[in-house]
Amino acid sequence: MRGFWVTVKMGLRMYLRDRGAVFWGIVFPLILMTLIGLAFGRTDSPSFTIAVVDQSGGLLGRGLLEGLRQVPVFRVEEAGDTEAALVRLREGRLTLVIVVPGAPSGEPIRAYFDQARVTDSQTALVILERFIADANLRLARAPQTLRLQATGIAGRIQLRFFDFLLPGILAMTVMQTGLSGVTWVVATYRQRLILKRILATPAHPAAFLGGLVGRYTLTSLFQMAVIMLVAVLAFHARIVGSLATLGALIVLGTLVFVGMGFAISTVSKSPEAANLLGTAISFPMMFLAGTFWPKDFMPKAMQPVIGLLPLTPLVDVMRGVSARGDAVTAYLPGLAYLAAWGAVSFLVAAKRFRWE
Amino acid sequence: MPIVEVVDLFKRYGDVPAVDHIGFVVESGEVFGILGPNGAGKTTTLEIIEGLRRPDGGRAVVDGVDVQQHPREVRSRIGMQLQQAGFFERLTVDETLQLFAAFHRRALPGSDVIHRLQLDEKRRARVDTLSGGQLQRLSVAVALINDPRIVFLDEPTTGLDPQARRALWEVIGSFRREGRTVILTTHYMEEAQHLCDRVAIMDHGRIVAQDTPRGLIRTHAPGTTVTVLVDGGQVRFDALPGVQTVQQANGEVILLTSDPLGTVHALMELNRSGEAIFHQLRVEEATLEDVFLQLTGRRLRE
Repeated sequence: MRGFWVTVKMGLRMYLRDRGAVFWGIVFPLILMTLIGLAFGRTDSPSFTIAVVDQSGGLLGRGLLEGLRQVPVFRVEEAGDTEAALVRLREGRLTLVIVVPGAPSGEPIRAYFDQARVTDSQTALVILERFIADANLRLARAPQTLRLQATGIAGRIQLRFFDFLLPGILAMTVMQTGLSGVTWVVATYRQRLILKRILATPAHPAAFLGGLVGRYTLTSLFQMAVIMLVAVLAFHARIVGSLATLGALIVLGTLVFVGMGFAISTVSKSPEAANLLGTAISFPMMFLAGTFWPKDFMPKAMQPVIGLLPLTPLVDVMRGVSARGDAVTAYLPGLAYLAAWGAVSFLVAAKRFRWE
Repeated sequence: MPIVEVVDLFKRYGDVPAVDHIGFVVESGEVFGILGPNGAGKTTTLEIIEGLRRPDGGRAVVDGVDVQQHPREVRSRIGMQLQQAGFFERLTVDETLQLFAAFHRRALPGSDVIHRLQLDEKRRARVDTLSGGQLQRLSVAVALINDPRIVFLDEPTTGLDPQARRALWEVIGSFRREGRTVILTTHYMEEAQHLCDRVAIMDHGRIVAQDTPRGLIRTHAPGTTVTVLVDGGQVRFDALPGVQTVQQANGEVILLTSDPLGTVHALMELNRSGEAIFHQLRVEEATLEDVFLQLTGRRLRE
């Protein structure tokens, strides 16, 4: 056990002294995030676009519309059809959809918002509530005429591109660590007979190999923290889901892709070959798995392939948790598929592993 | 008391036997050398005894433990220095020893081992800044970290300059004084002659002779060698006075003689009369190099 911990400790020191590893694990993902974010990301509009569906056809609706138009941060549109307005809300083009019920029904005014955009939605809702309260006060002797009920719906595209991009970048970094980092490091250790020198000690090989896995798990978490911090501070990316869940997903992803890295290094003759093979696998995956833009952007014919890539479920679950605050349980099939890749990789690595 | 026993060891790579049914016994506390040219099977032999390779036949027992049955137990009782084995280039000397200490059940303090190998100045230096000699000393330091009774050194001084080689000989000599058993391979006959209590000469996977250095010379190359560089002329060297054997290698003629004075005198006569022209006449006491030459017809380093 001491061998394991000392391997982890020394591994972390080696990581911090390895400029290449720090570049590919932190600087490169940040550069990618910046460039892609600037190219595709939309900036925050200072105002909220809201649509009002007036089913009352009467004074109440007209009055509300006029009143809302007086609110400076609201850009008010009139919409005829609730469903059509909700679609636009899902697509991120509206912040709120307000439905004014028919006059005699006694139903409340409904406001729909996108759960994924908590901050925007909450801000707009607070302003709306203030407005309704004012209106109620102004309507003499009828303090509770207007009631508001807010209903959240799940939107499809986030208004803020960085919220969408960040989890993709994190998943990609984990993959890169395994397929480009581990392949190179393990194959180099083998070529330089470092693995043989370790085997020549009485320790169980698992102490060292497990220590390597531990080292990569910790460095992945460290890289995640740095990338998140920059994304949040510099690009105002928002993370809705729990950090602990995201950390656990990073650990799972690291195990899977480190396993793949081990497996690749066992089928390659030299560090160069191992690194090349790892990169050849990771590079297309980086662009296909929905890392930087939605998977639907890819041609329909490619969708079945995209679904089979091990990176795809990791990107999906991380994005779901980070950007939408989804529960992990919604992604169990994908996670199981990802874990299966990890299990197969470790089996291949264990079967083919050579110390020299 | 024998501490290492090797019986009828056999290992082949493809159809080529790398180790061809060899056997030897190493006594506790001695320095035992396996001398031979590159490719003779020295490293393979050593790695089988260390439990790093499986033999195709025969067995090795180290400190009473059968290597094939309990390789890890054997590895915990020995220290080994591997030929060309690398270390983590981004760790320091100190950290490297800490790491390897953690892989052993018991370990000497790193600073002691560093001091023994005269690496004090390089203690905090990263491995990738070390010179060849310092790396080699680190490699021996790692072999010593678990305070082993038996130390295996695979070509410990290959590639070192004479000064670094002498320094390492000092260290290996100190192992012997501490009562450790040392088994080393080398293709330097000076090294075998200087360090080893007994030497096994290995060629093409076989042990062609084993004895003390002195015993080997007495048996296989008694007397003196006279070496000349021949530049034309036909000479029957074996007819010269005292000459026992004649070997030719790299254009040199090496005469093993029981009458060095008579042999040299006759050579000078031939040179003066113009029957043959010689350059660079050397007269030397026979060495293990001559033993190897007598046994195989080749020099150790060609």
